[in-house]
Amino acid sequence: MKASAAAVPAAALPAGTALRVGLAAALAAGLAGGAWHLSGEAGGGRLALSLVFGALFGFVLQRSRFCFLCLWRDLLDHGDPRGALGVLAALAAGLAGTTVLFGAWLPDPSGTRLPPGAHIGPVGPVLALAGLAFGAGMAVSGSCIGAHLYRLGEGSPTAPFALLGAALGFGLGFATWNPLYLAGVAEAPVAWLPRHLGYGGALVAGLAVLGAIALWLLRRRPLPAAPAPASRDPLHAVFVARWPAWLGGLAVGAIATLATLRVAPLGVTAEIGGRSRQAAASLGLLPERLEGLDGLRGCATALREGLVTPNGLFVGGLVLASLAAALAAGQFRPARPRRGHVLRGLSGGILLGWGAMTGLGCSIGTLLSGIMAGAVSGWVFAAAMLVGATVTLRLGRRLGWLA
Amino acid sequence: MHGSPFRRPALACAALAAAWLLPAAPALANAGAAPAPAVRDEAKSPLVSTEWLEKNLAAPKLRIVEVSVDPGIYERGHIPGAHTVAWHTDLVETVSRDIAGPEKFAALARRLGIDRDSTVVLYGDNNNWFAAWGAWVFAQYGLVENVKLLDGGRKKWEAEKRPLDTTTPEVAASTFPVTPAAGTLRARFADVLAVARKEKDERILDIRSPDEFSGKVIAPAGVQELAVRAGHIPGSVNVPWGRAVNPDGTLKPVAELRKLYAEAGIDGSKPVITSCRIGERSSHSWFVLSRVLGYDARNYDGSWTEYGNAVGVPVVNLAGTVWGGK
Repeated sequence: MKASAAAVPAAALPAGTALRVGLAAALAAGLAGGAWHLSGEAGGGRLALSLVFGALFGFVLQRSRFCFLCLWRDLLDHGDPRGALGVLAALAAGLAGTTVLFGAWLPDPSGTRLPPGAHIGPVGPVLALAGLAFGAGMAVSGSCIGAHLYRLGEGSPTAPFALLGAALGFGLGFATWNPLYLAGVAEAPVAWLPRHLGYGGALVAGLAVLGAIALWLLRRRPLPAAPAPASRDPLHAVFVARWPAWLGGLAVGAIATLATLRVAPLGVTAEIGGRSRQAAASLGLLPERLEGLDGLRGCATALREGLVTPNGLFVGGLVLASLAAALAAGQFRPARPRRGHVLRGLSGGILLGWGAMTGLGCSIGTLLSGIMAGAVSGWVFAAAMLVGATVTLRLGRRLGWLA
Repeated sequence: MHGSPFRRPALACAALAAAWLLPAAPALANAGAAPAPAVRDEAKSPLVSTEWLEKNLAAPKLRIVEVSVDPGIYERGHIPGAHTVAWHTDLVETVSRDIAGPEKFAALARRLGIDRDSTVVLYGDNNNWFAAWGAWVFAQYGLVENVKLLDGGRKKWEAEKRPLDTTTPEVAASTFPVTPAAGTLRARFADVLAVARKEKDERILDIRSPDEFSGKVIAPAGVQELAVRAGHIPGSVNVPWGRAVNPDGTLKPVAELRKLYAEAGIDGSKPVITSCRIGERSSHSWFVLSRVLGYDARNYDGSWTEYGNAVGVPVVNLAGTVWGGK
C-alpha cells in the first residue's frame, strides 16, 4: 500500500517533493524488508505480523489524524462531530469483528473464562481515576500516547517529551500500584458484557449505544457543508489529503480485528511500560513485588526478556510508517522544541503514563480494545478520560495555561 | 507464532532449560547401543507422529486436545479438529492445590466427548510439557493406554508447515462417569520422605536444572522462589527433563532414553518417583519413564515447593546455599 507512494511520477514533481516521496518509499521498503526478514526467522511470523500491523496502524492514524484529543476538541470547540463519529465507526467495526472472533474462540461466554488476551480489566474507582488522569494528560500534552507516537513521525516538538514523560509516569504508576491494588483493584469486578448478555446481546447493546451517540451528535451538531474536494486525483486522496475520520475509523476497526486474530489486541503501552519497569527495576526504584499486576488483563508490562518483542515492533512500525506517510504528504514538519513544548510534554506525559499504567492501558489498549472486546472497563475508561480532558481543557484555558 | 517466546517466565524457563541441555544430545546419540527404533504409530504406542495424525484427523473416536502453556496460542491456529484444555483451570482445582477432582474431570471429559474407548492425542507447545502433564492427569482417571502424545508436539507440526485451523470443533458430549482418581500414579509427600529416609528402596528422579538441583538457586531464572530452602531430596538423581527430547521436539529413541536414565541409576528395576519444582515439568519425564519405557513410575506433584518447605525433613544442599540473614 505504502509502496505505491513510489508510483507518484517523480518526474512531474518538484525536486523537494521527489526527495520526500523517495524517502517515504525507502522507509516503506525498509519496513517491508524488515517484515520479510523477520518472517524468515524461526518463529518470527508473529514478530513480522506485529511490525506490519503497527505500520498499517501508523499509516491510518497519520492519514486520518486519528487523535482522540483533536477529535474531541473539534466537537467541543467547533461543534464538528465528524471526528467523534470516526471514533464511533472504529468502535462499531471493531466490536463487530472482535465479537465474531471471540464467538469462535470461546463458544460459551457464560462460564468463568475470558477470551485469551482480551483487554478486559477490573472496573472500579481506580480505573476511573486512571481515566481522569489520562484525560488530563491528553489535555496538557495535546494528545494521547497513540497520537504522540504517530506525531513523533510528523516531527512534533512535544511528542518526544510527552513520551519521555509517559515513561516517567509509568514509573510513578508502579510506585503507587500496590496501595491502589489493595484498596480498589483486587476485589473490583472484571465485567465482560457477553458473559451476561451473550455475544449477540452484547453486540446489539454495544452497537445500539454507539448508534444512539452518533444520532444524538448528528442531531445536536449537524455536519458542516462538505467542501469541494481539493483534487480528484486518487493518489492525492490517499497519500496527501486527510482521510475522512469515518474512513480512518473503519480502517482502525479492521486492523484491530485482524491484529486480535493473528497477534494480540491493539495496544501501544505494553512496550513503554515494560521498558520503564525494567529501567525502574534496574535502578532499584521498583517495589519488591507488584501485587497482582501480572495476573490482570490489558497491556502487560511483564519484564522484557528479549530485545525484540511483538509490541516493540508494533510501536516501531507505527512511528516509522507515520513518518513515511507524513513525508509523502508533505506533513513532516519538525520544529525546534520550545520551553512550553518541553514543560507541557513532560507534565502531560507523566499524567498519561500514570493513567496508562494504573488503567492497564491507554486510549488504544484499554478504551478501543476494551470496548471492542465487550469489556465494561473500556467504557468506564472512555467516560473518565473524556471528563478528565474536558475539565482540564476548560480549567487550563481559564487560567491561561492551555490554548 | 510459536516463536515470539520469552515473554512469559514459564516459557522462558522451559526454553532456557532446553537450550542449556540440548547440546548434550549428539554425544549421547553416538554413545548409544544399537539404535532400536521407538515404537511409534502402532496401536500400542504412547506416541503418534505428525504424519499419522494428519492422515487420521477425521478418524471417528479420535479426540485431539491441545494443552499449551501460552494462552491464546490455540485460538490463533491449532491442529484441525483439536480442542483446547487450559492447564491452569481445567486440569486443577483452582482454590486448593490438587489435580482436578472427579466431578470436574468428568465434566471436562464429557465436554470433550471423551469416552473410555476414545483415542486421545494430546499435544502442546514447549515440547509437550503440559500435554504430558495432561496425560498424567488423564491417566489418574483411567485414561492411560488410549491417551497418546503427538511426538514433537506443536513445534514439529508447525515446522513441517502442516495446516492449522481457527475454528472450535463441536462434539456431542460423552457420558464419562464420575470415578475417583487412582492414586497409583501419584507419589505423596510421605512416599518421598520414606525414600529420603531410606525406609523404602525406590528411586527419585529430579528433573530440574542442575543449578536448582544443587541448591545454587531455588527456582529457574524469572520464576518466583516458592520454597524457603534450596537443594534436593536425599537419594534423588538429576536428569533434566529436556534431555529426553531431540532438537525437533520429538522424543529420543527408546534405546537412547533407556541409556540416558540408566546412566543415572534408573533402569526400571526399582519403582521411580519423578519430581521437579511444582510437579508439572516432571510429568514429562513421568510420561517417558512410565508410558514409553514401561517403568513403574509415579509423579510427585508436590515436588520441591512442598518438600523444600516441609519442616524437619532431610535435605541435600550441594551448593552450600544455607538459610540465614544478610
